[in-house]
Amino acid sequence: MNEQIILSVQNLTMHFGGLVAVGDMSFDLQKGDLLSIIGPNGAGKTTLFNLLTGQLQPTSGEVVFRGEDISALAPQERAQIGFGRTFQISKTLTSLTALENAMVGAFLHRRSLAEASEYAMEILDMVGLAHRADVKAGILTLSERRRLEIARALALDCSVLLLDEVMAGLNQKEVESVIELVRKLHADGLTVLVIEHNLKVVRAFENRVIVMDFGQLIADGTPEEVLSDPDVMEAYLGRKSA
Amino acid sequence: MSKIDQQEAGAPAAPGRSSPHVTRLRTELGRIAAIAAVFGAAITFWQGDPFILNIMAYTFLFGALASSWNIIGGFGGQFSLGHGVFFAIGGYTTANLYFHWQISPWLSLIPAMILAMLVAVLVSWPTFRLKGPFFAIATLALNEVALVLANYFDTLTGGPRGMMLPFNAGLANMVFTSRLPYAVLMLGFLIVCLVVGAMVLRSRLGYYLQAVHIDEDAARAAGIDVLRVKLSGMAVSAALTGIGGSLFAMYLRFVDPPTLLSIQDIGVKFLLIALIGGVGTLYGPLAGALLIIPLEFHLRATLGGMLPGANLLILGALLVIFSLFMRRGVVGAGQALWARYRRTKNE
Repeated sequence: MNEQIILSVQNLTMHFGGLVAVGDMSFDLQKGDLLSIIGPNGAGKTTLFNLLTGQLQPTSGEVVFRGEDISALAPQERAQIGFGRTFQISKTLTSLTALENAMVGAFLHRRSLAEASEYAMEILDMVGLAHRADVKAGILTLSERRRLEIARALALDCSVLLLDEVMAGLNQKEVESVIELVRKLHADGLTVLVIEHNLKVVRAFENRVIVMDFGQLIADGTPEEVLSDPDVMEAYLGRKSA
Repeated sequence: MSKIDQQEAGAPAAPGRSSPHVTRLRTELGRIAAIAAVFGAAITFWQGDPFILNIMAYTFLFGALASSWNIIGGFGGQFSLGHGVFFAIGGYTTANLYFHWQISPWLSLIPAMILAMLVAVLVSWPTFRLKGPFFAIATLALNEVALVLANYFDTLTGGPRGMMLPFNAGLANMVFTSRLPYAVLMLGFLIVCLVVGAMVLRSRLGYYLQAVHIDEDAARAAGIDVLRVKLSGMAVSAALTGIGGSLFAMYLRFVDPPTLLSIQDIGVKFLLIALIGGVGTLYGPLAGALLIIPLEFHLRATLGGMLPGANLLILGALLVIFSLFMRRGVVGAGQALWARYRRTKNE
């Protein structure tokens, strides 16, 4: 087994009744990688994401993390072993302050209030929210809430960060600032898996891209390779009329 | 506070080492000491008035019980209507040990606490899988089952006729000739409940309970074992409630099913007091008790004779008013007023 492979998806399949949401997907994620998974609406991206985070249990196949099959682990158990995630519809703890939100993550490996709050403050600083530490999460802007979710995940000391459409609903400037943040985290050595609908975002990361359509992996490569692939064009734009 | 104000005034953010605003346990203990001092002074002031002392004893006791309920009901957001069961377990444990074996109620607080905690964990194990109103209804049913059992098993409970506890005055028996020591006892219990509440709120468990309350999926994503956190909160809450039941039994020197398990006078009352005072806040339940219990005594004295049940009518109306206009209770409304005052002052 390759030491560098941190996360490996093997023949992962998810059926909802007769619908094959994810069909026999396999790919590996290297340590320190930044992998984007894209696909049109209904391609099965969110299902795949939920299989990775433990929200769903696969019909068949395995999710292997550091050489161990974790397909049966619950979401909190995956968080405990190093999965940090954000939600497509952001789930910050609205009546707690930004700092307290990050603390909820920091408590996973720190027992005392003092340690957790100190570490949470460091993390907020890292994602650019230190000046908003005392503000209730419910009155943060959407892009700040996205950053806060990333902060909560980072405070878990996660080894893989899974981002579920963190750009959705953000304006151009906000998207750029989130891209910059994700790049920075990746440059610092974090393994990141991004699920995105937006093709522009994928181009911005300039790393490996996997394209899904109808629950299948249809392309795997650099953004240039993938975006010039006729199958991908077809999936996104439809078949060229004869 | 100042940070928020700066933000709103559009001042440049000042990140870095300025200390983040997290209330420490130390701060809360200082506040609780102040509360203890004020109430201690009140007891001293009215020490010759048994009527007032009785109201104070009830207020402190129910403030303590609502604070205990608040640990799981408020911080953790699990609206238990079954806390009467843990209250009754405490009451019956102490009553039985005192009645049959003359065991000092001070000692029987320990088994009362442990038993309440065990039963709480046992019944919560399945019911915590239910969410929101379904959990509340399940716990309500629990209370009703306990009422039937208490009426039926008369060797343990004295059945519907109840148990009269012998009057043997003395500190060891927790039986006193005047109301003054009872008021002090209940104040002591209140302080214990506030301190435990503060210890929970200003710790990992407190933040985990709040996270579970606000969003279970987000809590799981933060590595929180939701069921375990709920059970821990419930265990602490039920243990304190059990102690409250023991003290109540010794105060009345009488236990019977309606006294310990009445849904409107016990089970729902904890929650009602917490809701009116400010659910989920540390001092809200106490504020609620300070408002509700004296008011209830007053209503019972003035209206009770004319129109039986009128006091319940007014309490019900109060609850409706609070849930419509002051969702966060007395404490929440106070905080909002304070924030508004700060803002106008800074402009």
